[in-house]
Amino acid sequence: MIFDETHTEQIRMCAACPKMCRHVCPTFFAWRSDSPTPHGRALLIHQAIIGTREIDERGVEVLFQCLECSHCLTWCKPEIDIATIVEEQRKALVAEERRPKGLVEMAQAIRQFHNPYSEPHMSRNNWLPIKKKKGGKSLFYFIGCTAAYREQEIASSTVDLLESLGYRISIGNGSSDEWCCGSPLFRTGDVELGLEQARHNAQMLNEMNVDEIIVTCPGCFRALSKDYPEHGLILNKPVRHISQLLNDIKDNLPAIDFMGKITYHDPCHLGRHSKIYDEPRNVIKQVSNSNLNEMERTRDNAMCCGNGAGLRTLFPEHAKKIGMERVQQAKQSGASILVTACPFCKNMLQSQSGNDLIVLDLPELVLQAKRGRKVKTH
Amino acid sequence: MLDSKIMKKLYKRMVSIVGTDYVHQQETDRVLNAHDAWPLSEAKLRSGEMLPLADMVVFPSSREEVSAILIAANEMEIPITPVGGGAGTCGGTLPIYGGIQLDLKRMSKIYDIDDQSMTIRAQAGVVGIDLEETANRHGYTLGHTPTSLRASNLGGFIATRSGGSMSSLYGKIEDLTLGLEVVLPNGSIIECKSVPRHSVGPDLRQLFIGSEGTLGVITEATLRLFLLPEERRFRSFSFPDVHSGLEAIRNIFRVGIHPSIARLYDPEDAAMSFSMHFEFEEGYCILLLGFDGDLTHVDLDDGKSAEICMTLGGVDLGEGPSKRWWEHRYDMYYPTRLTTSGYAIGDTIDIVATYDKLENVYHSMKKAMEATGAIVMSHFSHMYQNGGSIYMIFFTSQPDAETAWAMYKKIWDEGVAACLKEGGTMSHQHGVGLSRSTYTEDELGSAFQVLKKVKEILDPKGIMNPGKLGLGVRE
Repeated sequence: MIFDETHTEQIRMCAACPKMCRHVCPTFFAWRSDSPTPHGRALLIHQAIIGTREIDERGVEVLFQCLECSHCLTWCKPEIDIATIVEEQRKALVAEERRPKGLVEMAQAIRQFHNPYSEPHMSRNNWLPIKKKKGGKSLFYFIGCTAAYREQEIASSTVDLLESLGYRISIGNGSSDEWCCGSPLFRTGDVELGLEQARHNAQMLNEMNVDEIIVTCPGCFRALSKDYPEHGLILNKPVRHISQLLNDIKDNLPAIDFMGKITYHDPCHLGRHSKIYDEPRNVIKQVSNSNLNEMERTRDNAMCCGNGAGLRTLFPEHAKKIGMERVQQAKQSGASILVTACPFCKNMLQSQSGNDLIVLDLPELVLQAKRGRKVKTH
Repeated sequence: MLDSKIMKKLYKRMVSIVGTDYVHQQETDRVLNAHDAWPLSEAKLRSGEMLPLADMVVFPSSREEVSAILIAANEMEIPITPVGGGAGTCGGTLPIYGGIQLDLKRMSKIYDIDDQSMTIRAQAGVVGIDLEETANRHGYTLGHTPTSLRASNLGGFIATRSGGSMSSLYGKIEDLTLGLEVVLPNGSIIECKSVPRHSVGPDLRQLFIGSEGTLGVITEATLRLFLLPEERRFRSFSFPDVHSGLEAIRNIFRVGIHPSIARLYDPEDAAMSFSMHFEFEEGYCILLLGFDGDLTHVDLDDGKSAEICMTLGGVDLGEGPSKRWWEHRYDMYYPTRLTTSGYAIGDTIDIVATYDKLENVYHSMKKAMEATGAIVMSHFSHMYQNGGSIYMIFFTSQPDAETAWAMYKKIWDEGVAACLKEGGTMSHQHGVGLSRSTYTEDELGSAFQVLKKVKEILDPKGIMNPGKLGLGVRE
């Protein structure tokens, strides 16, 4: 039995619901079937718990189609967190060696290379120049795999921005190297390998002589600030997302007139999972002279970008369909600049944005303002 | 269950029409797509029973694909169960004889809004809330807000002849549907043109509105739009009894006022729904009123309605209870610990009658249902000039599945029998599906033969949603 009485009751309730959250479920949007929905997943698990039927191969697929975005929770009056329940079930499936092949390969890549992209570990951070500086508050920038290998503009903009704001930056390298934070593994049920990464990172971070740790990836933020402590890995210095840091010093940030309207996409791990909604908005408003146009679905009702919990690895076309829809929602707001605060989100949204929408991560936008450069829109 | 040779042939045929990705044969997909929100289905699933499964679930994307599927099914005499949102409460989409579950969720296009004519056209698989939000963006409302709005689809609205919580003002779906596209069992695609009124023989739209997939598949519709109201005002009263509350409603409509909301809660339902939040006399009923429109008309209607209520013994409770109901109107649709524990089961028998019979129907049904030992509470809602509906809500909890399901049926049997005996009609907006299928003949009397003949002509092989609406029941 992997579920306690409370969870079992919640699963039963969700399985008996007339699908009151299905209309916001991104995987329902992508597949238009009742299978990949919160209710569908709960029913599968409920039937397994009470012995009606086992979770078969297709059931496993349905459970790994969940983005764990928790959008359903926003619409759930009994407040059933089906993402957490799915994650618990995934742990059991991983233990039974039943996770999808694509995720086995991802785990192998992380075990071997410490990143999910099978990129050489040596080249993780060595491309990123850091100024040797004395004085200023010292920050360790935990870059994360996506900014390190796929969205390097975010990492370099973050370092440039923070240095220009007077911070002393250090990053992982050499014997103090940064590994994958473990988020892709925690979210897909491989706690064991996730903790292997986490233990290394926790030791490295705790040995580091810095004032605090800064992250740009909300997945890393959730892992470092929630998953690590939940597993007894306590970091001895504060962890902040870049949006929190910039919000705290927003009065020192410059403002320019960006060409075109700006909208903001809430990353799931930052918004719904960490309740950080105002900080990035305050920063955008500050640097753009309050030029922020909200999308219809925003804050705890924001649609997921489609790039979470292994979906893009397993079902790239469906993940892109979700990203495309979110981009359409941004365009409907009248914006020509879409800002987010997550390398995963940026990666997905930019891939679907076309020529009439610029997608930027928060530090990139702020750096543009700092340099007095207007973002060129079409 | 079809034999393997036929299954193979059918699968191949379906794949040739919609493609491999949209024909699901795996048991998991058939289980997860099988049920609607019929409380008996939900209770059975909770208790570990398997529901009847289709042999395959097919997801078409166009009327042409629906047509090709029906041609194939007709040729091979395979049952077809159309599914919209799967949010019905009567088991109308349960594939009780297997075959194909024809799921319309991929058909979710919303076409242009016609500002000039104030209409909106959409495919049948669009989710209700998506359609309403699109209308809202343009300054309109559909005026159709059933509690299932987030889960139900346009096609399901029409197929079940559904009603929203503001049907007193805006009308039910049969009043809101101007144009309709239907694919008949032989594959032919017919269109009932979008016009406000006509005199070209009987209104064929009405043949399909409420047909529950037994006569064809609704693939597209054009609905009326209304301007979003400048003002929506709430008002509430308590009344010493059902009679005085009903009299107030009757007199409000009698003078030509059309509130958007008119709901009278009997003492049991009032206590359950409002006593935790508002002060009112114990044993009293609660009347909720809502008025939509421009400020001048709302002022007039609100004032005149209040005058009528107070003359009839109503106590003004202000906007509180009515506004609270509006803001929490979807809450009752969520499962709770109580309603999902053990062999608990509850349901609603939504009946309709004219004012001369309505009170008698209420008392008779309540007496008959309570005689079974069930907890019964009720409210009158969806009120009109000539009468209205009653939500007879019941709840029972039994020690085992067999007793619970038998008790559930007994409550239904007794309730519907009492309704029909007093001259009521057994369904106002939830449809018939499976839960009321056996009562259809009694309800319609000799007119049932007309429905049967129509079915025989349009669907001679009886492939369309067999067993529902009292039609096509197999041995």
